[in-house]
Amino acid sequence: MRLLLTPFVLIGFLAAATPFLTGCSDYGYLESVTVAGSTTILPIAEVAAEKFVQSTPDASVLVSGMGSSAGIEAVSTGTADIGTSSRHLRPNESHDLVDIPIAYDGIAVIVNLSNPIDELTTEQLRDIYGGAITNWREVGGDDIPIDLINRDEASGTRDAFTEAVMDDTPFDVGAVILPGTGQVREVVTRSAGAIGYISVGFVSPRFGTNPVKALVIDGVDPTRENVGNGVYPISRTLHFFTLGEPDGLTKRYIEYVLSDAVQFGAVVDAGYIPVTWRGEE
Amino acid sequence: MSTPGSLQLVTSRSRIKEALLATLFFACAIVAVLGVALIFAFVAYMAFPVITEIGFLDFIFGTRWSASSGEFGILPFIVGSFVVTLGALVIGAPLAVMTAVFLSELAPPKLRAWVRPAVELLAGIPSVVYGFFGVVVVAPIVARLWGGVGFGPLTAWIILAVMIVPTIATLTEDALGSIPMGSREASFAMGATQWQTIYKVVLPAAKLGIIDAIILGMGRAIGETMAVLMVVGNAPQLFAGITAPIATLTSQIVLDMGYATGTHRTALFGMGAILFIISMALVLTVRLVARFGRAHG
Amino acid sequence: MAPEMTREPASKMTQGRDKKGSTQGKNVANNVALALFWVAAGITVSALAAILLYVIVRGIGVVTPAFIFTWPHGVNAEGGIFPVIISTIYVTGLAMLIATPVAVLAAIYLAEYARQGKIVNVIRFAADSLASVPSIVMGLFGFAFFIETLGLPFSMLAAALSLSLLMLPIIMRTTEEAIRAVPRYIRWGSYGMGATKWQTVSRVVLPAATARIITGLVLAMGRAIGETAVVFYTMGQAINLPITPLDSGRSMPVHLYLLAVEGINMQAAYGTAFLLLVLILIFNVVARYISKRYSRIKE
Repeated sequence: MRLLLTPFVLIGFLAAATPFLTGCSDYGYLESVTVAGSTTILPIAEVAAEKFVQSTPDASVLVSGMGSSAGIEAVSTGTADIGTSSRHLRPNESHDLVDIPIAYDGIAVIVNLSNPIDELTTEQLRDIYGGAITNWREVGGDDIPIDLINRDEASGTRDAFTEAVMDDTPFDVGAVILPGTGQVREVVTRSAGAIGYISVGFVSPRFGTNPVKALVIDGVDPTRENVGNGVYPISRTLHFFTLGEPDGLTKRYIEYVLSDAVQFGAVVDAGYIPVTWRGEE
Repeated sequence: MSTPGSLQLVTSRSRIKEALLATLFFACAIVAVLGVALIFAFVAYMAFPVITEIGFLDFIFGTRWSASSGEFGILPFIVGSFVVTLGALVIGAPLAVMTAVFLSELAPPKLRAWVRPAVELLAGIPSVVYGFFGVVVVAPIVARLWGGVGFGPLTAWIILAVMIVPTIATLTEDALGSIPMGSREASFAMGATQWQTIYKVVLPAAKLGIIDAIILGMGRAIGETMAVLMVVGNAPQLFAGITAPIATLTSQIVLDMGYATGTHRTALFGMGAILFIISMALVLTVRLVARFGRAHG
Repeated sequence: MAPEMTREPASKMTQGRDKKGSTQGKNVANNVALALFWVAAGITVSALAAILLYVIVRGIGVVTPAFIFTWPHGVNAEGGIFPVIISTIYVTGLAMLIATPVAVLAAIYLAEYARQGKIVNVIRFAADSLASVPSIVMGLFGFAFFIETLGLPFSMLAAALSLSLLMLPIIMRTTEEAIRAVPRYIRWGSYGMGATKWQTVSRVVLPAATARIITGLVLAMGRAIGETAVVFYTMGQAINLPITPLDSGRSMPVHLYLLAVEGINMQAAYGTAFLLLVLILIFNVVARYISKRYSRIKE
């Protein structure tokens, strides 16, 4: 019996000790910054936080990723100091927020290497994703049915693609919906008729995966340069939002994220384009 | 049976202790009841606005789902869940029942000692590992053989069929094991072959147990989430062919829960409540089958 | 155990029949049909072998001590998965701590104290229903109830509470079966010596059932370790080393899922899948070992 009761005692102890233990981690530092939001931005914010804390020993930066909407909500209510988002604010969201762009991202439209198509217009793309064009023949390619790959509605990439391409045309509901960039890429490498869209940073082969072909859209190549200059038509901005002008440690963390160390470090590593892009690769 | 509490040797102090302990045990047993009641009440409460905001019939029978444009018809997911489940049963149930018959009636003891743990281990593999295997191995094979990109009902059927085999096989084996040896011996004595004995004596005798096993396998399949999410293609459309992507109630909840707000969230809880009701209905069916068995057996 | 013993002669008899049957032409149908059963069992075993082999071949090279004991780093989660392993063990252990006492005591009630009747029927129906609630519904409930309503953070505790609801009926069933498997006459001896009900249960019945109870617990842990949908929206998803129960983290199944769909670091995905299977295998082998030892002691 004693053995059976031990867990109860343990739980009681843990529950009692918890406020004390967490209290320690919150107040053991002089100052802390809470960053919450986009999973796209999560790796950048994390790597930046890790290095920032190394150079600022008394500080702590807590980073979490639960999606752009959650981040905007958290910063609006004051739960987080910085909300990160891979999309713009929606009309129903607080406009007291200060918008700090931290990186750009181009969205490349990718097809299988065996596909002879090299170029599409945004109109053709809209017809393809809207379901009006269903065979590659209709845009001058081989007689192969088009296998549409779309992203899930939570995806910031999909938001940006919708905004730049779809123009209120609803997506074809028959498209395969995959919840991650890597999966979209992987499926396109092995399917002759597939078309998908991913961040430009993920077009080049990494970790030994096979190559895909990124299409020229409206005559513009999806290079980092064209995205940085704003010429490429399908792109998005990655944002930090703060409630009012940032100050103190929050301001220093943001300045660090905007410094070359992060912009040409973590931002480029993660496949995005520095907001301070100056044209050199 | 006489309770020991009536014995003279027991002091009043220990009688109180006995009573307190019995109450504690009872309280623990009630936790299961409270748990189920709380889950259902809470999910139903969160789902209730579906009726006022969407309308019950528009919700259940609506064929268009688009969170961004405020359309919340879940018929495609209900159909999707049943398509995926029934297909998995068509492949998995015969496989499982035959595996169980093999284990119970045919396998040499040494082979059985290897095959049975293998079936049990199949039950222990996490669903996300099945899904991962589906993504990296099964989907490319399906794509090569049937065209498309490999995400859809067919891939889900294959993965789910394997996943429900252990559930159905172990329960069927239990049912077969409870048939008295004598009925088999009688059949053999009359000159029946082993196959004749299996399908004329053994399987009919275990019929209700096998039905139970299949219903529970169905419950496992309809509630399966991660593996299905990873291979089914997640398109909110009605069934359009074995390689055309569809979505299920479970997969759509996981996909959307992270960012859903307002009516969208309500709709997800509505889908959760429907899943809950389906699984309760399956448990009730099993009980009814058992009662039928007692009445006619 | 007992059922196996009674079935063995049947198999021997069967083999005898096969030899005799194959000499008779009328038994071609018999042989074809029986072959199909062998094929079915073969397919089942091959499915297991395919999954295990694939994950082992792809994953074994990835799993180095560094993979197990270091943190992930960089934007593509290179390096190890140490905090993910710890989060998994943490949440499973915590869920066991919560579920086990309640489930074991409930099972004692059902097996030893309850009189058959309406209440027992209701409890059994509730336990069966709880066992059949789809795991994503459990996750949905856990998120809305423990996190949004009770105000817990995304944490080990919120995930463990949700998981414990899933484990409760499993442990209840295996424990009740273990207690019922203890022969009646053992109890009579105890009662005959004047022991009370609880003395009999705690000193005679439970010790006799311990090995089987632990087997059930180990199998339930194996089940909980691989659970994804329940912890997906209750534990948080950021990689973190949990210290207190209110800390968030990412479990191995969730990590595997995210790696598999993000696909930018498939090596780590294979390594995680491999480790997950190794953990499950260990739990299964331990459970088997305990129940084997138990049956030997009994004989």
